[in-house]
Amino acid sequence: MADHHLEIDNLVKTYPGALKPSVDRVSLSLPRGEMLALLGPSGCGKTTILRMIAGLIPVTAGEIRLDGRGISAIPVHKRNMGMVFQAYALFPHMTVAENIGFGLEMRGVGKAERTERVLKALDLVKLSGYGERRVSQLSGGQQQRAAIARSLVIEPALLLFDEPLSNLDAKLRDEMRDEIRDIQNRTGVTSIFVTHDQDEALSMADRLAVMSEGRLEQIGTPRQIFDRPRTDFVASFIGAGSFLTGTVVAPGRADVPGLGILHFTGDVPAGGKARFLVRPHRFVLGEGVNAFSGVVEHVVYRGQILTIAVRAGDHRLQADLPTHAATLPAKGDRVTLSVAPDDVTLVGEAA
Amino acid sequence: MAAVRHSSSDGSSHRGMLLLLLLPGLLALLTTFLLPLIWLVRASFASSAVAALKGGDWTLESYRTVLYDPFYWKVAWNTLYLGVNVAIFAVALSYPIALFLARTKSRWRGVLTALAVAPLLTSSVVRTYGWMVILGDRGVINAALQSSGLTDGVIRLTNNYFGATVALVEILMPYAILAMLSGFGRLNTQFEEAAALLGANRFRVFTRIILPLSLPGVLTAALLVFVLAISSFVTPRLMGGGRVFVIGTEVYNEATVTLNWPLAAALSVLLLVLFGSVILIYQRAMRALET
Repeated sequence: MADHHLEIDNLVKTYPGALKPSVDRVSLSLPRGEMLALLGPSGCGKTTILRMIAGLIPVTAGEIRLDGRGISAIPVHKRNMGMVFQAYALFPHMTVAENIGFGLEMRGVGKAERTERVLKALDLVKLSGYGERRVSQLSGGQQQRAAIARSLVIEPALLLFDEPLSNLDAKLRDEMRDEIRDIQNRTGVTSIFVTHDQDEALSMADRLAVMSEGRLEQIGTPRQIFDRPRTDFVASFIGAGSFLTGTVVAPGRADVPGLGILHFTGDVPAGGKARFLVRPHRFVLGEGVNAFSGVVEHVVYRGQILTIAVRAGDHRLQADLPTHAATLPAKGDRVTLSVAPDDVTLVGEAA
Repeated sequence: MAAVRHSSSDGSSHRGMLLLLLLPGLLALLTTFLLPLIWLVRASFASSAVAALKGGDWTLESYRTVLYDPFYWKVAWNTLYLGVNVAIFAVALSYPIALFLARTKSRWRGVLTALAVAPLLTSSVVRTYGWMVILGDRGVINAALQSSGLTDGVIRLTNNYFGATVALVEILMPYAILAMLSGFGRLNTQFEEAAALLGANRFRVFTRIILPLSLPGVLTAALLVFVLAISSFVTPRLMGGGRVFVIGTEVYNEATVTLNWPLAAALSVLLLVLFGSVILIYQRAMRALET
């Protein structure tokens, strides 16, 4: 308990007049220095959680604790949270330095110290020399950096990002992704960022919390989320794959109707039903333990990989094949795909 | 060669078309705005109403009157004083309303905005008479004060600058609200949220974020109200009961009662100069605010 910096306990938010809660009994905790991604489609409640932590909206039920102390009753201006808005929200009537110094000014930090800390913050986000510029004179990426500096200079308890990269173009996005991660590592500030982009979440966060319709579906490391999704939603929201449902006939063996026997690793008692997921890149061409033959229905060449859809029995299997092979399957070819039992993901027991 | 000639003739015909399309508008402006203005300036240099109509000698007589007669200095001062007062009060009273309308997320926002500017649907003459009923010697306020025993005699609320100011403030408030709403484009709740997160309490969010960001709207509203107030004639005339002397009422007097058209024209030019200088100040201030 004590090693958790932020704890969220059964957090609920129901907006007035709404039939369903926007956030429904979400619990999670963050150790100090971690970067967590709140991932989910729009309207899943991820931004609502962020805004409750920030203190911008009141919680309906549940608790938010920081170092073991409840903070729900602390007004926003006394909560000491750093937040980087999607559109940055830099004050247009102030210079970059005035923007960054605003939080220090509100805390009564003297002018000399303020100037010094603002310069340090500018340096941290590689904006040295831009302090006297107007906000409108900065590019999108620079505004982003200024907004991060403004949030960091107050030494916040948490750094919150609302869709930090969605306003940047593709090239800048990759750059800022590394930059944000780098700044977070150097400052060690516990951070939460909200995103609907799985690549962003997988590549930036220490852990991911996947949300759907106000509920927390799964929380775990990027690898756990990608390779061991616990629900259909998580499996389908993060990455592609073929879903298979079967009856377990013996330990590690399931009968998938319309396909055949599927070998897998995992503990499901015989007689139970189970859901499986095979990621496209886990399939290989040729015979193996789990081999399924079928006709290639669809082919998409993507440079490094070839994505094919194979009709095998009643199922359509999606596979990503490396393109360095001598011959590649073409539409209408009959092929055999196989997957190692270890590469079959057990999503959950089906009803 | 042929292609060049073709494109150049194409370009000039394009320009010709543009001129042709602009012509009706330009003609309308010329006949309804520019010509009367030229005629007004010409009339201000005429020696008499007849000369103003027929042309003739140029004289500075009217300007000499305006500049040397202390009465007209007083009128100019009165006008400025009335305009500034009306602008200050109209803006101060409209600001909370406009701020509320700009920030509310209520679904009644459209209706409320319409209600706020609905008084524009009534003629300002009618609304002025309304104020005469309210503020008059036997009006609602005086009657209430006397019947409640708070006062014995009549409190003069009308036939003076006070009455004119009150009526003008109310009449011009919808314009102020509209001008502010259109000038509040930079207001955004995200700025307020960001400031609060950085440690600003509600008072400081207002003074450091909302107020500076809404200043362009305030300035525009002040200019609009001031210009409308100093050029107003009906309301100062009716509410002033002949005791309020502003440029508008004096222009009317000279033009219709004294029939001194050149003087009326000179006073109008004075008003135009006043407008021009205020607009210059406004532009300076706006530029300072927006950089």
